Amino acid sequence: MKLTSVNQSLRRLQDPSLIIVILLLVIVVITGSVLSDRFGTMRNFMNVLEQAAGLGFASIGQALVVIVGGIDLSIGAVVTASTILMAAVVDLHPALMIPMIFGTLLFGTMIGFLNGYVTIRTGVHPLIVTLGTASILNGAVLIYTLQPTGSVPYWFEEFAYGRFWSVPVSGLVMLLCFVMVWVFLRYFETGRAFYAVGGSPDAAHLSGIQCNKITLIAYSASGFFAALAGAYFVSRTSVGDPRVGDPITLSSITPVILGGLILGGGKGNIFGVLLGVFLISLLSNLLNYMNVSTFIQWVIQGLIIIVAVSIYVHKGRKL
Amino acid sequence: MNQNIFVRRFAVLCILIVLISLATVVQTSFLSPSNIQDILTQAAPLALVVLGQAFVILVRGLDLSVASLMASIAVMATAFNATSNAMIPVIFVVAIVVSAFVGLVNGFLVTKRNVSPFLATLAMMIVLQGIRFYYTQGAPSGSLPDGFRFLGTGRIMGIPINVLAFALCFCILGWLLHKSSFGRKVYITGGNPTAANLVGIYADRVTIICYVICSVMAGIAGLFLVGFVGTVDNWVGRGYELDAIVACVIGGVALTGGKGTLSGAAVGALILILIFNIVIILGLPVQAQLIIKGVIIIVAATLFSKASRA
Repeated sequence: MKLTSVNQSLRRLQDPSLIIVILLLVIVVITGSVLSDRFGTMRNFMNVLEQAAGLGFASIGQALVVIVGGIDLSIGAVVTASTILMAAVVDLHPALMIPMIFGTLLFGTMIGFLNGYVTIRTGVHPLIVTLGTASILNGAVLIYTLQPTGSVPYWFEEFAYGRFWSVPVSGLVMLLCFVMVWVFLRYFETGRAFYAVGGSPDAAHLSGIQCNKITLIAYSASGFFAALAGAYFVSRTSVGDPRVGDPITLSSITPVILGGLILGGGKGNIFGVLLGVFLISLLSNLLNYMNVSTFIQWVIQGLIIIVAVSIYVHKGRKL
Repeated sequence: MNQNIFVRRFAVLCILIVLISLATVVQTSFLSPSNIQDILTQAAPLALVVLGQAFVILVRGLDLSVASLMASIAVMATAFNATSNAMIPVIFVVAIVVSAFVGLVNGFLVTKRNVSPFLATLAMMIVLQGIRFYYTQGAPSGSLPDGFRFLGTGRIMGIPINVLAFALCFCILGWLLHKSSFGRKVYITGGNPTAANLVGIYADRVTIICYVICSVMAGIAGLFLVGFVGTVDNWVGRGYELDAIVACVIGGVALTGGKGTLSGAAVGALILILIFNIVIILGLPVQAQLIIKGVIIIVAATLFSKASRA
């Protein structure tokens, strides 16, 4: 009885990428606890959870787009534009803080929708479309301001730094988003269609799925989560920063890949992405404790991507 | 002539002519020899990268590591601290060997390990960046022989030297792609890798060679760019990876592989540089370049996509 249940759970973990990520996580945590007495503390883990939220939000959006077979290179630009939009407007009218939270999320969703719309209408590769959007957004932002600008009311810091029973609010929101997206992808018809569209658009179309609608939802969601990441960064720094999103675009792809999603779509578990986010955040935290220079951390990040994707060896469509 | 081919071949040229006329109307001195020389000098390093990028895109790939490689090669060139011009050939040879190795690794990962080109070259970009910054500790130093400055900005009979270098590379690579049997293999591999294997082409080998060509061109471009700029910094050529891809797309090289010409890609690079130039002529803020570039990318890609589906 017991053996069969173990067998079953093993079978559920058949996806090798998940096992590898969990293994790597365990290695990082054990190494960290041995090497530094501050790393293994609950306090540190909570800090990491708080810092991981921005990357986490961006990665959820990227993951959804990757599952339907696309890619979103405009995430960083949407993050930046959201921080500027929110901080600049609220700076002028502090009373608009709460409406602007929704306004910013709506803005992100609209940009995402636009990405999706152009992609399905023109048939142009999403790489090019989202690159174009990113260029336009960045240009607009940089014409508006070249340095960090605007402000938000003090209480908005609670979103990033606030604690709920010593658990960071931002981390909780991130975990909640992951759970909701997981439930959506697994138990909702629309969510399951994501995998169908990513796996084979033609087959999905033949089985009566409206591929265009699914693609639109995925890109809109990506924009939404990018704007949420933007709100998180505003809450951390209280300003809108015209450069804050630059590194996010590419770093949002790393956890997605580590989590076992395939560029090309149709496969992967969203919790893998969450584990990827934890792995990246804990690793960078550990390397900081070990006084490893940022430059070496870049090398390590690049090598992790290479090693991870070479181990997974996905046959199939490439992007 | 088939309408689609017509669009592919001549739409780019039409855009180019429209842009040039527009610029001439706004500013009559646009077509003066000195302005043309300036534009070509600026366009040459990007155009060199574009030539290589076109090869990779033709075999269904993508190389995001070119800009990072350019900067790394530039840093490496100054690390020699050479003062004598006799070192220039040595620096070139070392740069080409190192770049070729980088291309080899990219190609190996893509073909033998089945890593998607996007990720393989993205990782390569980050790794090169990390090594470069670690070596320079964020503040590059070192010097170049005077001859480099001449390579980057000098002119022979009024023609910028880096443009001559581009012309030479264009002729060699153009012959390779459009006249040699290797070129046919590139198109077949890009059009259908499985079919390529079935007719006895080593698709993997062709793909790897394309990545090597791309990296070598990026390395050479890095040397000319550092000569043009005069000093080295950690971000020489920043943004060229995306600009190069954009230039290819504008020039009609399809991201799906197997379609497009080298001259189209080169014209794409020229268009991109012209747009930057026109933005400045019009007195718009420099940031407007980004917006216009974004619009052009999407419009150009849409046009070609429509043309190939019609």
